[in-house]
Formats: sequence, structure tokens, C-alpha cells
Amino acid sequence: MVHILGVLLRDNSFVKIALTRFYGIGYPTAERICARFQIHDRCKIKSLTPSQITSLASFLASPSTTPLMPILPLASPDYEPPKSTPPMPQMLKRDEVSERRKRDPLVGLKIETELRRQIRENIAHHRMIGSYVGRRHAMGMPVRGQNTRNNAQNARKFNKIERRG
Amino acid sequence: MPISQTNQLPQNIRESRLEPLNFSVFHPKVLKPDTKPRALTFLYEEKDALRTFGVPKNVLFDFRLYQRPLSIVRDVTISTVDRLQTASGRSSASSRFVLEGASGSGKSYTLVQAVEYCYRSDWIVIYIPRAIKLVDSSTPYTYNTRTQTYIQYDAAFQILQRLLTVNRERIEGLTLESTAAYEHLKGLKAGMTLTSLIEMGLKDKTVVMDILAVVMEELGKQKSRPVLLAVDDFQALYQSSQYRDPNYQIIKSYHLSIPRLILEYASSKRQFARGAVVGAISTANPTYPLPLELSEALQITPPTPTGPWSKRSPTYIGYAAGLQPLHVPEQLQLSEAAVLFEVWMKHKTLHTDATDQLFLSKYTEASGNPRQFVHTGLLQTLET
Repeated sequence: MVHILGVLLRDNSFVKIALTRFYGIGYPTAERICARFQIHDRCKIKSLTPSQITSLASFLASPSTTPLMPILPLASPDYEPPKSTPPMPQMLKRDEVSERRKRDPLVGLKIETELRRQIRENIAHHRMIGSYVGRRHAMGMPVRGQNTRNNAQNARKFNKIERRG
Repeated sequence: MPISQTNQLPQNIRESRLEPLNFSVFHPKVLKPDTKPRALTFLYEEKDALRTFGVPKNVLFDFRLYQRPLSIVRDVTISTVDRLQTASGRSSASSRFVLEGASGSGKSYTLVQAVEYCYRSDWIVIYIPRAIKLVDSSTPYTYNTRTQTYIQYDAAFQILQRLLTVNRERIEGLTLESTAAYEHLKGLKAGMTLTSLIEMGLKDKTVVMDILAVVMEELGKQKSRPVLLAVDDFQALYQSSQYRDPNYQIIKSYHLSIPRLILEYASSKRQFARGAVVGAISTANPTYPLPLELSEALQITPPTPTGPWSKRSPTYIGYAAGLQPLHVPEQLQLSEAAVLFEVWMKHKTLHTDATDQLFLSKYTEASGNPRQFVHTGLLQTLET
């Protein structure tokens, strides 16, 4: 069993499935995180090395401040390896990267408390500006034009200004 | 009191009702140009090539059904053996061939027979029965800045360990002549045996892939024994893998360490002084269909319609250049089917009487295809 940021990940589950236990990480994001740390698809939590767990934990603790991976050079068919091992390319800072690469989903990733706070702030903003969306959240009614004659039970249960997320 | 007595059964149901079947053993001496179709068993002992390297899933399934692992010697077996005999005296650059044929025609079985033939003929044998496992993101991988490829250290460890288990006695006399080309590896000394070199690689996973490449290189230089590199699911090496790089781009197979090594031997960029590289195409996994570049190199009709504007990778075309096709006939000959029928009959697996009518009807329904004949015809029939 591994605890990362208070979330328990079971030993026998695949890493790309276990990562979806985090609020804000679904299957596509989990696959990208596994690729980012070169974790193969069939890797289980118990197979992770301590350094991999540490790097995962540090990434998930603050995804927005993690440096970006450089584009790794790949060998052509005629490539002759040198005799010495060159150092690993340096990680890139945010301002060194093009706008296109900043669209990587992992660049602006928010999870757990940070994501919940963002959702609460968005709802509070709608209420503050007096929008329709804000009023519907305040009334505990559906926001996106659903029927209220019947159903709407989930909206009545969950839609609040201080929505749990 | 034994259960058979209490139940008043005519025989003890816990005892096998199958008598030991005496098929001849598969050995090079038995395989001659005029050999008629017959069933030959594999010894399948510990440290044998087939037992250690493993066999493809469909072959393993059949082996578990048989009393002892066996196969049918067909015309294609004899022609494959002929090619291997010719290859034993010359460089692998001129002996690179790929078993191709329709689904269920017996490509994997022919490759298994080729591996067993070479093993019993004292070749050095390296067999990869499931090459899909090298590209389906099921083993760890890590980027290496020196080779600019992704190293698969667990897979390399497994191949090296099995190579040593199977070929230990055959590589005992082989030594490392010079370490000039291997300055990136520490701890190598001229004169050290290949066995100790492999054991060094098995102890340290950070260098296991480099050691595997060195061992293959040294095996390629020696001329005392021919070397066979046999790969099933060969088509999986000629397309993109399921691995992703840190920027989530798909990794091509030639950017993975072990597939790249195999592709280099398949394309004669590396070669064995004596030996052959033999591949077998598999149609079992639709995730890895036959790619266009390989089908054109082998002059096979591609599985999907193509034309001059279809995308072709120049890299894969280069890696497929010079491969020779070895066609496995889709239909069993009647004599071969009769031997196969007799095998299953002796194993008492038929639900009905073993008559000529049953044999001919199932042979016709399967159109002579071996897999259809056995699995769909004989084993699934409820006909009486």
C-alpha cells in the first residue's frame, strides 16, 4: 500500500488505474502521467521503485511548478552510439517552452484541494456577478437547462454555493 | 474403501484411461528429404530451448492437450530444415527468412520445429516466441542518452538468462577477444568468457541491455557454431509500439532497444558469421496486423487495400529489405491430415468413432486448414 497526498493506492492495482483515485485525474490524464515518468501500462503499484514514488508524489503535490520534459533525441537507423554516456537533457522552465507545448494537459493540471477550490471560486464568481448560473446554484436547481418538472434530484442534492466538488 | 468400489463403477475414474503413446522423438537424423508425414514428439526437458524460451500461446495450448508435446512433420518442415542446413555454413546476411501464410496454416509450429532442429543440431539458439510482449508496453522501459533509445531492462534480463540456460555448454569455450569496442562498459576484460560476461549482466540491470548487445556481437563473430535468431509475431516489430515517451508521443519499435537489435539482425546491419534469422508472422492479435512495408518486402498481399499513395515508412522499408518469404501452405496434404487425425484419435479426444467419413468431412469443411481442421473440426464436433 502506498500513500500519496493522503490517497491510498493498492499494491496490486495498475498504476494508470490507481492514479484515477485522485480527484481531478481520469484515465487520459493518468496515462499521460505514466508516460511522463516512463511507467509502462502493466506496471503495478508494488513494482514502483522508491524514486518513482517520490517523483510521482512531488509531481502530484504541485503539477504547475514541475519543470517540463525536453524532447528527447532519438536514434536514426544509422546512429552510432558514442563511447561515453552524455548527460540527460535539462528540464525546461515554463518560459522556455512554446505556447503549443503549454497546451499539454499536465502543464495546468489541478487535483484534489486545489481543484475543489477552483470549482468553489468559479461558482462564487457567478454568484457575485449575479449571473443565471450563480442564481441556480444558490437555489439548488439544475444549471445547464435540464428539466425540473421531473428529475433534477442530483441538482437539488449537490448544487450549492459552497459546492463540495 | 476406495471410491471405485463404493460407487460400483466398472473402473477407477481417477486412473488415466490413456496408454502411453509411443511416437518417435524429433531429431535431425529423422528429418530427411524423403521423410513422409509423421508425428514426432519433442523431448521438452528442463533447459531445452522450447521449455526455457517458451512457445507461442496457441502452441502451448496444444502441448497441454497432448500427452507429450509433439508436432507433425510436413513438407514445409523439410524445406525449412533444408534452408537451415544451407544457412549453417554461411553468414546470416544471406539467410534471413520469414514464414508466411494464411491464418492457422502452421507458421508458429514450423518455427517451433526449426528451433528444435537447430537446438538438436548443436546450434546456439535464441528464440523469442512472443515478440508482441516487447512492444505492448508490458515491461519497464527507460531512456538511455548514449544509445538514444528506450532500454527494456527486464526483457533483456529475461532473454539473457534464458540464452545462458539453453546455450551454457555451447558458449563455454567462447571468450571476449577485445574490449576496444566496448569502452562504455566497465569491468570487461579481454579473455573473459561469455558465460561470466552474461552473469555480470544478470547481476546489474543497468548494464544488462549493453551486455546483451555485446554477447550478440561476440556470438556473431565466432564461427565454431551457427546461431539461430528465431522470432514469432515478427510483424509486431515493424510498426509503432504501445509505449509512449514523456511527451506522450508514440515510440516506434526501432526506438526500443530489443526490437531495434532484432531489426538490425533481420536487415543484416548486424550479422552472424554462421547462422540464420528466422521470423514467423502471426495473425492471432489484430492489434498488430501485417504492416504494408513488411508485406511488400515479402511480396504478400496486404491485409487491407493499398495503393501507391498509401503511407510507407522508409525506415521500416530499410529494415525489411532482403527478407525472403518462406510460404507455409494453407492446406494440409491428405497424408499430413491423416497423421494429425491419428494423433487426436490416439489421444481419445474425439467424441465419436474415428471413421474415414468423419476424417474426410472435417478435412473438407476446414478446406485443409490445420487449425480449422483440429480445433473447429475435430475437437468441437458433436457429430456422431
